[in-house]
Amino acid sequence: MLFLRYYFWIAPHVLLAGLLVGIYRRGLLRRLPFFIVYIFLELAQFLALLTMNWLPAASENEYHWILVLGLGMSVLVKFGVIYELSNELLLSRSSLVDLWRRLFRWTAGVLLLVAVFASATLSSTGVKNIESIFHFLDLSSAIIQSGILLVLFVFTRALHVPWRSYTSGVALGFGIFSTLELSTSGFRLESGSGGSIVIDLIQMAAYHVCVLIWVAYVLVAERSPVISGRGLQKEEIELWNQEVQRMVRR
Amino acid sequence: MMIPVVLALIGFLALSMMLYFATTHRHKGGDLDQLASQLKPIDVNAFRNLIDEGEEEFLRRNLHAAEFRSILRERKLAAVEYIWCAAQNAAILIRLGEAAKQDPDPVVSAAADKLLDNALRLRLYAFQVVPRLYLGLLFPGASLAPYFVADSYEAINRQAVMLGCLQHSTREMSSAS
Repeated sequence: MLFLRYYFWIAPHVLLAGLLVGIYRRGLLRRLPFFIVYIFLELAQFLALLTMNWLPAASENEYHWILVLGLGMSVLVKFGVIYELSNELLLSRSSLVDLWRRLFRWTAGVLLLVAVFASATLSSTGVKNIESIFHFLDLSSAIIQSGILLVLFVFTRALHVPWRSYTSGVALGFGIFSTLELSTSGFRLESGSGGSIVIDLIQMAAYHVCVLIWVAYVLVAERSPVISGRGLQKEEIELWNQEVQRMVRR
Repeated sequence: MMIPVVLALIGFLALSMMLYFATTHRHKGGDLDQLASQLKPIDVNAFRNLIDEGEEEFLRRNLHAAEFRSILRERKLAAVEYIWCAAQNAAILIRLGEAAKQDPDPVVSAAADKLLDNALRLRLYAFQVVPRLYLGLLFPGASLAPYFVADSYEAINRQAVMLGCLQHSTREMSSAS
């Protein structure tokens, strides 16, 4: 169990460092600035916590504070990444900007209320202050992020908005991680310390899967779809259009 | 224990939906000619007639209430079918436009981008209009006529023609040189 915990803690961060190099080499640095900041933040937090874990002078309380601060900053940057993804997919299209912004605001507002309600109900069971903040942040961010990402997936699917390989990879990675966090976070307060370790392991494994998906989508070169045929030709389109025009004319 | 279970179920449902959407909604290749052949011509004039408020008013004045309600229902349902057909055409044009966007000629690429934008707009309108038409069935007196769909549909057809012309002339030029 101890080996698994260390593996799921260290391996995804080693992969993240490799991903950063890969993103630089593929020239995606300017396209995904928030995602880059997120990776840097995750790596910095990992190094700080790893050092504190092996440093005898660092107390448990200090460790938890770093964990909560890191989580808080990471949550904010993750919203930046979601904005970045929606910008790449939708905001560059003038016809979709207004509707998506309205939908985004309403979704975020409703999810915030749900998150506050769920977190407040669950954290009333009386836990230590710092852990309370951690659970509140963990659950609230999972609810809001899962909801917004799901709306983004449904919206783009309904409108047939084409996804680029890396945007769908980043969104899918965050989607898997946030939905599994949502599925497990609620049980954390209900279970004892043994249960909490299992939940930790599930969430760490989910994060590992999430990083593997990012690596696969971002680093594996985007394959162009195999296209045959000439598509819309002048004569065909004109015939088709004439038919429509004839019917439109009053 | 109730809230964690509910959250877990919602989480797994959201996860399944995301995985489904991510695996089925990707850049698709395929035969563009076959795709173009799936475009169905739409009788926009008939559609305009179906959603014309003046026409509806005329029917209301000249028919018995029961007969009018029955005809109104038929008209609205037919309009919904037209809109779904236009939305399916828009989905095909999005894929054709996406393929044409890769064209090395910037003029063709820009035209494809415009076509894509309008096709997306049409799908967006379709999703807004269909509920309005169903509402029109429930509240026959309300003004819910969605004229802009017809306008938008004509606009994307014009752009599809322009794109086709551009691609054709580019190919002719490259084969000549």
